[in-house]
Amino acid sequence: MKTLFFILLLLFISGCSDKLVRVMPYEKEYFAQDKMSLAPIADRSEQEGHVYLIREASAGGESSFQGGCGCR
Amino acid sequence: MPLKYLLLTLISLIALELNSYASSLKDSMSFGVDAYSDNADVQVYSPTLSLFKKVSSHWMLGFKMRIDAITAASIKNGANGTHVDAVTGASSSDKAFDDVRYAPTLMATYDDGDNVLSAGAYYSTEIDYTGQAFFLNYVRQLNEQNTALGIGFSQSFDKWNPVFKRALPKDNRNERKIDFSINQLITPKFSIQGVFSYMYSEGFLSSPYHYVLQNNIAKFENYPDTRTGQAYALKGVYLVNEANAMNFSYRYYADDWDISSHTLNIEELHDFSRHLTSGLRLRYYTQTKSNFVKDIGSYNANDTYFATDYRMSAFDSYTVGIPFIYRKKNGDKVTASIDYYQTTDNAYVKSWYGVNNISAIFTTLSYEFAY
Repeated sequence: MKTLFFILLLLFISGCSDKLVRVMPYEKEYFAQDKMSLAPIADRSEQEGHVYLIREASAGGESSFQGGCGCR
Repeated sequence: MPLKYLLLTLISLIALELNSYASSLKDSMSFGVDAYSDNADVQVYSPTLSLFKKVSSHWMLGFKMRIDAITAASIKNGANGTHVDAVTGASSSDKAFDDVRYAPTLMATYDDGDNVLSAGAYYSTEIDYTGQAFFLNYVRQLNEQNTALGIGFSQSFDKWNPVFKRALPKDNRNERKIDFSINQLITPKFSIQGVFSYMYSEGFLSSPYHYVLQNNIAKFENYPDTRTGQAYALKGVYLVNEANAMNFSYRYYADDWDISSHTLNIEELHDFSRHLTSGLRLRYYTQTKSNFVKDIGSYNANDTYFATDYRMSAFDSYTVGIPFIYRKKNGDKVTASIDYYQTTDNAYVKSWYGVNNISAIFTTLSYEFAY
């Protein structure tokens, strides 16, 4: 847990490298579409998260954000 | 991990990284209604409202309100869905709804284009439970917004207040959650996300209503006071062609009660026109049993832990759903969804609810617009 945290911390501070860039800004049009979202219906994500929490014993694995496309 | 180190780290990161790029914050509002109904005689109707107001070029305030109007045999009868409760002695209610939960959330967001910081507080109150929590999320965009790293923290301080007179061994229930996530664009048509969640719960973790009733034993449920769980999730979305996209996710969950689970979700979305998108989603879930649940009828009076909630036993579930997204010409959006959920047959479900499995339908309907 601590190791993972510090690896992510290092990544935050270092800002990684521009060599990792794979998709240029002008190639991101598809990620602006609803169907290309990891959670295409926000209301459903919230509702089903509540349902599964009530009906199943597992939790987690949902981040509270979506990013990486710069399409907002 | 001590809380103060996490908070100090977050504050340091924010101080180091905040700068002044253009943000994409905008004033927006949405309202809708969600519904849930199952064969265990539970119905929930939930009006929702969200309001986001930009207060400067980088700052936005948000308010969300959810009201759950609940009818449930378990509330009417005190505990057991199939008959008036023999252990709690609770009597039936004649009100239109058996419980109403009010859940407002207040939040503030800073967004400069490369850094998004949001913080907020949540409060909910209902007949027998009060929840309060705060959360803090930070997302850092990297590599010309090809990569996004996120860290989130939330802590809740909840309290039980059972509807019948029962002195609980403790009435608090506190939950802490830390999420680390990474989003990466792979190609112009493919992106993935990895999420790791760490969850810690302490306090009264069972239901105050469920009990074991067998032979000459009548015992309320009793679980361990703490629970630590981790979840690992991998998600992705892939554009198959101009009109079709495939969304998939896998999650592995494990905790120190020996419950582990696998969740698979796949969704196909198709653009039927410039305005309408719909498709099909399928979800499969399977979990193992906890290390303290026993077969029905096999508890001993001197056992430390008692469990009768089917969620402590092994079972699978399936979800099939249809989403709808309708975009108006002016940019407003109507979204809707209908999902059917069913568990496999389970002896604890049969014993408690009088049905072989849980089957449910849940729906959402929402209207979103910028103002």
